[in-house]
Amino acid sequence: MIGWLDTPRGWLDAFGEIARFGSQVAGQVYSGKALRFFGEGIRQAGILIFGSALIVWAFVFILGLQCGIQGAYFFRAQGAPSYAGLFSAFCDLREAMPYAFGYILSAKVGTGIVAEIGAMRISDEIDALEVIGVPPITFLCATRLLAAWIALPFMYLVGIGVMYGASYLAVVNQVGDVSSGGYTLIFWMFQSPPDLFFSLIKGMAMATVIVVVGCYYGYTASGGPVGVGTATAKSMVFNIVAVHILGMLGTVIFWGANPRLPIGG
Amino acid sequence: MAGKALARRAGSLSAVLVEAGSMVILTMRTLISAVRPPYPYGGELVEQFYFALKLCWFPLLISTFALNLGAPGLQAAGPLQVFGALDRLGGFFVLTAIRWIGPLVTAVVVSGVAGTAITADLGARKIREELDALQVLGVDPVKNLVVPRFLALMIVTALLDVVAIIFGLSAGIVAELIYHQSLGGFFATLFSNASITDIWGSLLMCTMFGAIIAVVCSYKGMTASGGAAGVGRAVNQAVVISVVGVFAFSYVFTAILLATHPELQTIR
Repeated sequence: MIGWLDTPRGWLDAFGEIARFGSQVAGQVYSGKALRFFGEGIRQAGILIFGSALIVWAFVFILGLQCGIQGAYFFRAQGAPSYAGLFSAFCDLREAMPYAFGYILSAKVGTGIVAEIGAMRISDEIDALEVIGVPPITFLCATRLLAAWIALPFMYLVGIGVMYGASYLAVVNQVGDVSSGGYTLIFWMFQSPPDLFFSLIKGMAMATVIVVVGCYYGYTASGGPVGVGTATAKSMVFNIVAVHILGMLGTVIFWGANPRLPIGG
Repeated sequence: MAGKALARRAGSLSAVLVEAGSMVILTMRTLISAVRPPYPYGGELVEQFYFALKLCWFPLLISTFALNLGAPGLQAAGPLQVFGALDRLGGFFVLTAIRWIGPLVTAVVVSGVAGTAITADLGARKIREELDALQVLGVDPVKNLVVPRFLALMIVTALLDVVAIIFGLSAGIVAELIYHQSLGGFFATLFSNASITDIWGSLLMCTMFGAIIAVVCSYKGMTASGGAAGVGRAVNQAVVISVVGVFAFSYVFTAILLATHPELQTIR
């Protein structure tokens, strides 16, 4: 039995540690301790926007195109091509956008944080911070979480717009079974502001977990440059599983009992 | 000022192009050294195969079940229940579990789990100068390290796709049970709508995903540099490039598959 159960066991192990670490970090942001380093938080938000926004939107654009063609061909098969908007409305807003956001954030931001903080850890910069009297968790982790909460909701909302545009291009311009007006009629009929809000909650829950996981694996990295690489890889595993579980929970909570359809009574 | 910014942008663009070109060159070298004798990579191939399988099976199982239960399962069951056609969920799962979500989740899990592990491993060897030592000993790193990973990841991704499809469909079954439906209708529409084209399309797409992930992650690992943050940054870039590349490839592949196989578009 050479370690087939190592992954789940290590994962459970990490889960408890990360929950403890995450509550510490979130508590520091919530209680306002992170505001002592508000400038650093703003700087991190700037790094987030300039470093990740374009790649997030590009990724979301690709997934929006996929939602579009899958929906268009599916409803062509059903003999109701004008209802492609139903599929894209559900796919874009409720499911694909949170998942796409989660995937690309864990790939770009999560592993980036691990590499950055892990490098600080193994070159003893974190110990140095402690020596000069700066609380390292607040300065490094809480500011990053604060930055994520400042910048990412807007990035998410713009991403939804990008995705809508991509789906429109795929359905109306690429496949072309339905006219522009027919598509937008159905598309806007099958969504409402609460859906947008629920979707945003889903995405931000994923973003919070991803930042915390990144900080945890970076903060606890050990074993030289190689150790940083291993920690980065591990954080990605945890993030992928967490993104999917949060996505499912969000769907069950927000739309499980009531699909929120403009049909019937 | 503007000229300087333009020059910087041109510089980063040319760096991107050089990197893309190097990856293509690595792909070609990998393919050539995979078929040209001798074949010293058998043992490493089996080892990498087990390694990827051991790392990936658990995250994949959870991910594919959760995604298929939430996104197509509950989200599609809502409208279908309103129309009184919940047995049609089986037909819908051909689209999601087999044609679309199965391969994509497999690719995300393989690139995030096995791909990052490959980059971390090769990056560690590069930083410790083991790759240079291998070359001095007359051992070709592409043939002995990249080729087995390339082949192993192609096979593993295709095989894990089967697992993803099975667990995706079982999530569909759970969604039906949540809505208190009998499963006869689900299986009837599932098997009448699934075609052999769907299956081979899914498996072929996953094999290509495995190739993309292996090349990107090996390349990033073998070119890791830059001190303490080097390996971590290599892993970061590898996973971003492989995930975006896989999704872009999947869009092109799906568009071509759906447009060239009209038999996929008939409902049965």
